[in-house]
This record gives sequence, structure tokens and C-alpha cells, in this order.
Amino acid sequence: MSNNTNTSNNTGHPSPAKPWWLGVVVVLMGVVCLYSANELANTARYSAIGPGLFVTVAGIGLILLGVLLLIQIARGEKFESQDTENAEGNTPMDKRAFFIALAAAFVPVFMINHLGLPITAMVAFTLVTLAFGSKQIVLNLIIGFILGTASWYLFSLLGLQLGEFIPLLGI
Amino acid sequence: MDTLGLLLQGFDVALTPINLFWALVGSTLGTAIGILPGIGPALTIALLLPVTVSVGPVSAFIMFAGVLYGAMYGGSTTSILINTPGEAGSMMTALEGNKMARAGRGAAALATAAIGSFVAGTLATLALTFAAPYIAELAFYFKPADYFALTVLAFTSVAVVMGSSRVRGFISLFIGLAFGVIGIDNMTGQPRMTFGFADLLDGMELTVVLVSLFAVGEIIYVASRYKNQKDEVVSVKGGMWMSKSDWKRSFMPWIRGTAIGFPMGALPGGGSEIPTMLSYTIEKNLTKHKDEFGKGAIEGVAGPEAANNAAAAGVLVPLLTLGLPTSATAAILLAAFQNFGLQPGPFLFTSNPELIWGLIASLYIGNAMLLILNLPLIGVWVKLLLIPKPQLYAGILIFAMIGIWGVSGSVFDLASMAFIGLMGYVMRVYDFPIPPLLIGLILGPMAENQLRTALAAGQGNPAVLVESPMSIAFLSLSFLFLFVPFLIKRLRTVA
Repeated sequence: MSNNTNTSNNTGHPSPAKPWWLGVVVVLMGVVCLYSANELANTARYSAIGPGLFVTVAGIGLILLGVLLLIQIARGEKFESQDTENAEGNTPMDKRAFFIALAAAFVPVFMINHLGLPITAMVAFTLVTLAFGSKQIVLNLIIGFILGTASWYLFSLLGLQLGEFIPLLGI
Repeated sequence: MDTLGLLLQGFDVALTPINLFWALVGSTLGTAIGILPGIGPALTIALLLPVTVSVGPVSAFIMFAGVLYGAMYGGSTTSILINTPGEAGSMMTALEGNKMARAGRGAAALATAAIGSFVAGTLATLALTFAAPYIAELAFYFKPADYFALTVLAFTSVAVVMGSSRVRGFISLFIGLAFGVIGIDNMTGQPRMTFGFADLLDGMELTVVLVSLFAVGEIIYVASRYKNQKDEVVSVKGGMWMSKSDWKRSFMPWIRGTAIGFPMGALPGGGSEIPTMLSYTIEKNLTKHKDEFGKGAIEGVAGPEAANNAAAAGVLVPLLTLGLPTSATAAILLAAFQNFGLQPGPFLFTSNPELIWGLIASLYIGNAMLLILNLPLIGVWVKLLLIPKPQLYAGILIFAMIGIWGVSGSVFDLASMAFIGLMGYVMRVYDFPIPPLLIGLILGPMAENQLRTALAAGQGNPAVLVESPMSIAFLSLSFLFLFVPFLIKRLRTVA
């Protein structure tokens, strides 16, 4: 259940800023749902309810819950990050690692159609290891390429369509 | 045909060489992922989905069941040897198991966990064997209004039970519901929430959402908070065996753990955390060796491990009989059924008995395989822990990418993977539970369908939703789930 705490801690350090943006984002998601429901044609109705009902339910729900969340934030609701394996919630965020890992997630979007799976996998693999603090860049590039190539070959044999090896070169 | 006859037919299917092979593959994979961090059975099954289309549904589900059970076995190994639960249900095992290992009793801890898992898995599968047909028969009497009320109960219980905050649980659920309405409306053919993107006309692919939230979100989160510390693996001394006293002290906890885990695993939002904690508490209260708890009591390993495995079998009851997933893993299994054009539920028992009974029979075989895989091969499994974490997590991203790219070949899905992965990161930072989102995504369309069918039958009269005793009971339970904890809290404050 929710934990209510006061906004200052006892260590003398400044309290973390309240995440108002969280509540605002949830409300905005609800607004988008309601806007979308409103755009649906009302002529197509089936059994007294149309296609917009559940969209409206989702929208209203998100708006109400977003407002509730904002109220909780105003009251000093504490958000404790989750503990997972190899990461504790109270560990400060490493922004560099965060952005590198995020870049690794986006790399396939820009690379895969032109450079193919093995090279994309090589780059993404290396970026993730870099985010985790590994300095063995060359080794990781090699491992990433081997893993990407082996996976491309093996999964292609199993019937998955993974595209050309290097589309840009027509291979 | 009677249940035993159907089960024997199931063994006919499960004992074919090809299905034995897939059971072994699933069990081995499951044990490995139970030991490895960052990857669980739900994500593994999601990643395997694209490659199993060519395998056939019976073999595919036999493999998936092996993964599900294997993960429970594997998770206990890391709990005992490095005090790090491999998955959520092994948290309580870590409490006593690691203490036993440090006291030189690691072999006994591993043995009681493995044998307890086997006993619980077998007993729970027996319960599944005899309960499932009756529940499936009962489900034939469910009307659409009853199914709608059941999904409302699933929504409420999952959002309330999972996570530390009801508001955040419901926000996750409603985000899942919003994702679930994306695509073409089945009944009117209108596109909803597609914003002009043709890739969204078929809706949000569950595999993409699940892989993004569990794999990509986890990788970004762990990378941003990574502590590079070596796991201290306690070496296992002596033979893999239990003394006469160990057997005597473990037997009843295995039975009690099974009795707790199986029904709770079947409940929406039940999962494995609650039954394992309950089992631990009960064993602590019942034992004659109370002073050993906290220092390495074997009952504290035996009971929770049995509860964990029994809960895994319990999850299959509502999934197979009602088509209702009660956990993230069950949700992805439901998606797997739909991938093969099958809808689990009462009709599947009559239309595809070889699939259902082959799957149930394979659970017995898988349990036996896992006992053989885990007891003597523990030294081999422990070597997996030597894989450096950076390369391990990088490999998970690669397989996630392959899984998504292989399903659709769509750059849009890869972009969704990145954005939803970022959302998964934010959810972990601000403690929003993820399972309610998946339940909302997969059950939302089902709930909408049943609601519209019920209202069609009632000619638009909403009173049809509260006409039958079953729907009233489910809706009342939902109300209780929602408001009783709040009322208790208020009464305590007043008192």
C-alpha cells in the first residue's frame, strides 16, 4: 500500500523533486484516449454501445487516476525504486549508463534495415556492455558480431525471416 | 471418456520421441533461465514464440511447460548458493537455504528444494488432472455476463495485490486496457487509437509489449544502477543427499506447501510470492526447531519451494479451463495459444483433447526430468553464474531484438520496443507494477467482447450483467478486493 512520508528526510540532503510530471503524463494519456473516442463515428453501434466505450473507460480511468496520483504526490507520496537482481533501488542513477543503454535499444530502429541483423547486434551488444562498465570494446564487438551472425543463421534455419546479412551490400 | 483414460491418451502423446525431446529442451532452458538473472519464464516463452510456429502446438506447449517448471527449479539454486533468488517465488528459499549452504549443508538444501519441487509439482499436476475437467465443465454454464464479471475480478485483484500502491496498480491496468483497444474494432471494423499508423491496425502485439517491458526495461534499469560485485557462490560440499532427519522434517512441509501453493496459484493475482511467504510463516510456527529459523532451517526451504512449484501448476487451471490468465507467464501462454489459432477454455478440452492431455501428461514427465537434471548436474548449472553480467544482459537485448524483428520484420515494432522499454524503466523507477499492464492488455479485449455480447443478449439492458448468481459473486468479490483493505486501514486509524 502507499507510503506517506513528509517531504524532507533526516540526513540534511535536499529531498528529491516531486515527480509531478508523472501525474501529468497519466492525465494526458487519458485525454488522448478521450479525444480518440470522440473521433470515432457514433453511427456504428452494436448492442447499445459503440466502439468508443472501452476507449472512453480507459480515458476516464487514466484521468481520474492521474489526478489521484497528483494528489498523492502533493501529499508527499514516496516512490521507492524497485530492487531487482544486480540493481538496488536506492542506488543513484548513472546517467551516462542510462543514455548508453537507451541508445542500444534505439540502435536497431536506425540500423537494421540498412546494415542487417549481425552488424546491428554487434553495435547494440557493445553499447549494452559499455553501459554496464565493460571496457573491452573490441572483444565485445567480436562477441556481438559472432552472436548476431550465429543467431541470424540459426533462426533463419528455424524459419524466421530475419532479412539479408548486410542489406546495403545486397548480401 | 473418464479422466484416467484421457490422461493415458495424453501420455501416449507426451511419450513420443519428439515430444520427449521438446520436454527436455524446455526443462533445460527453464532451469538455465531460472538460474540466470534478468530473464524469466514469461520473457523466455515470448522469445520462443516465433520459432515454435513450425514445431506444432502440442510440442510447443510441452516445451513451454518445461520452461515454466524448470524456472522454478533453477531459481532455488541461486537462492541457496548465492542468496539471490532466481525468480520471485524463490525469495523465501534464499532466507534459510543460503544459511544452510554457509553452514556446510548446501547439499541438503539443494536436495530438499529439488525433491520438494518434484513432490509438489507431481501432486499439483494430479490436482490439475482431476480438477480441470470439472471446472471446464462448469465453465460451459458461464454466460458472457459471468465471463465479464470474472475479468473484472481478475483486473481488480491483480491491480490491488501486485505492487505497493493501489493507485499505481490501477494506472498500470488502465494503461494495459488502453493498449488493448488499439487496432481495428472486431464488431464495427473501425480503427481505434491508431493515429494513422498502419502498423497499429492489428493492435499492440503482446510479445512486443512483454519483451520491451521485461527485457529492455530491465536492461536500461539495471545498467543505470549496476553494482559490479562478484557473486559469492557457496561451494557445495559432500554428496547430494538428505539424512533421515532431513527427510522427516521436510515431508510435511512439502505436503503443506503444495496445499497452499496450488489454490493460490490459481487465483487472479495469486502468483508465487504470497504462497511462499505463507508457507514460510506456517512452517516457522509449526516447527519444533524454532530456534533454527533464520539460521538455516530445512523446513524453511522445503515448504516454500513446494508452494512455489505447486503455484506454477495452479496457474494452469484457470488458463486451460477458462482461458483466464492470472499471471504474466499465463498471459504469454494465452498469447501462444492464440498464435496457433486456439482459444483455451472449456471448448478446447473437447476440440483438442490431445493438446490438453498431452500437455498435462508432459508435466509429470517434465517433473521427473527436472529432478534428474537438477540433482546430479548442479555443478554444471552453477557454471552459468560465471557468465559476466554485462555480456549476459547484452545477449538478452540481442535475443529480444531477434524475437521482435523475427515476428514482424517491422521497424515500427522495434521503435515500439525502445519506447515501451523506456516506459518499463520509468515503471521500475517509480514502482509501478508491470503484470497489471499485461493483464489489462490481454484481458481488456476479452472483457469488452463479453460485455458487448452480454448486452446484445439483454438487448442493451445493463441489468443483464448482474442477473446470474455467478456474476453477482464475482462482482462482489471485486468490490471486496477493492474496498476491504481501505476500510480496514481506516478502521485501524480510527481505533
